[in-house]
Amino acid sequence: MTEEKLKSLLIAFGSIFMIIFCLSPFVYMIVTSFAKQPDFLAAQTNFQFTFSNYYSVLTTKTLHFVEYLRNSLIVSAVSALLCVVIASLAAYAITRLSFKAAAVILLFTLATSMFPQISLVSYLFKFMTALGWINTYFALIFPYIAWILPLSLWILVSYFSQIPKELDKAALVDGCSYWQILYKVIFPVASPGIFSTALLAFIFAFNEFMFALVLTTDYNARTIPVGIALFQGLHGEIPWGNIMAASTITTIPVVMLTIIFQRHIIQGLTRGAVKG
Amino acid sequence: MKNKLLQNHFFFVFPLCLFVGLFILLPVLGTIFNSFFKDVSFLERKFVFLNNYKQLLIDSAFWQSFCFTILFVFVSVPLQIVLGLIFALLLNEYIPLRGLLRAVVLIPWAIPSAISARTWQLIYNYNYGLANFLWMKLGISTTPINWLGTDVGAFFALVISDTWKTTPFVAIILLAGLQAIPQELYAQAQVDQANLWQRFYKITLPLLKPIIIVALLFRTIDALRIFDLIYVLTGGGPGGATTSVSLYAYKYFLTGDFGYGSCVSTVLFVIAFLLSILYIKIGQFYKSIIV
Repeated sequence: MTEEKLKSLLIAFGSIFMIIFCLSPFVYMIVTSFAKQPDFLAAQTNFQFTFSNYYSVLTTKTLHFVEYLRNSLIVSAVSALLCVVIASLAAYAITRLSFKAAAVILLFTLATSMFPQISLVSYLFKFMTALGWINTYFALIFPYIAWILPLSLWILVSYFSQIPKELDKAALVDGCSYWQILYKVIFPVASPGIFSTALLAFIFAFNEFMFALVLTTDYNARTIPVGIALFQGLHGEIPWGNIMAASTITTIPVVMLTIIFQRHIIQGLTRGAVKG
Repeated sequence: MKNKLLQNHFFFVFPLCLFVGLFILLPVLGTIFNSFFKDVSFLERKFVFLNNYKQLLIDSAFWQSFCFTILFVFVSVPLQIVLGLIFALLLNEYIPLRGLLRAVVLIPWAIPSAISARTWQLIYNYNYGLANFLWMKLGISTTPINWLGTDVGAFFALVISDTWKTTPFVAIILLAGLQAIPQELYAQAQVDQANLWQRFYKITLPLLKPIIIVALLFRTIDALRIFDLIYVLTGGGPGGATTSVSLYAYKYFLTGDFGYGSCVSTVLFVIAFLLSILYIKIGQFYKSIIV
């Protein structure tokens, strides 16, 4: 009896700590974005509510916040979409048309996902410079697709391998081609898995930093993480209000997606990362 | 029939191989190749074989970044695993609003680290940041900490921020492991009157061990290549004290010294690659997927 009480006490305290630990920086970001001065925690100052940070971040042309956000959304969405298509084709071949190289491809892509990004960027920079793609969406979309492919492939393989093989055997007997099986049988049955994968691929692309830092030079292609990281005031001071407002506008949609699709994300992450 | 099958494999797998080959494999090989050259912008590229590596051996700034990175891994990863395990145990309990709680834990993971690093920068502000505010308000000390201005302060600032960002991922992976443990084992232990600690120590921990090792290795590889957070939060400072190997290489690329930067990156790549082979071996990914 006492042990049960001890357990519920531990759970209660643990949960409260966990919530505070995970949320406090996020809450602090939101609160500061509404503060007239970022130093409201100092002894002599008080919190003064204002919308002016949001107003200035959305209207100050030199900050380019809107462009950064637009670039991020386009690049991440296109990368995630193409990545899921490419990964589905490969996952289908690996789970359905058993062949010897399948294991090699799977393990090899897993290894590539562990490569440090720094060992890719210098060559990518030269490559994109030679193509004249620096500071364009192409410079980001192509490496992003390659970068998030391993994760997408692993998640999709784990979903596809759960679909009973009798389903496509029946379709084969009915005279369907492999392509038809893929889009008439596999895609509809695996659509929740495909959705999870697309969502994760989007979040991964949206969070990417180093490629965007090296392969873009200004607001024409620069993404929002790099934009916010490099935000600076006209006189070298740090515009905290603007940064926090921009961060809040950017992260609220991501956080909403996470809360709404929590189940999908957890499933996808577990399938993609650990199959042990 | 045989031929048709082969063709199909090829068409389905080809786009994947093309992308991974062109934008991951080729760049890595290019970087390794380039590490044997003296390759500085506006100067002629020259083959120097191992010269960059010889220079690296006596480059004290490189060794500083190397030691920092290793120390960072050794301090932050165990912390993340322990905290991640605690979070996973909590998330596995039947508590009210469990779904919402799981979503809350995912929030740090979902926010781009370059963006959250900017918030952390304000949190660690000496005069009015949240960290010193709590530090003083909770009565731990009356003098504020110079978080980003001292070596030790900056180190722990990074450890805390990185732990905040990556613990959710560890928790989610370990949660999957917890859910795979058969409930009958706990029921039996209850019959045998094993207490809370015994049930954790004798059942949960041993059964979770393989997945903990997988998470540990994964986090180690990930922490070795840390870049975004440091770039934004400390810029590698003060005085190069928190420059990770990735950031060190990046600084050479920035000045146009591609040869030496590639050499530094290659060292990091080799370490990460060896660890990833170990990861794949230990994780036994073959069994679960390839039938």
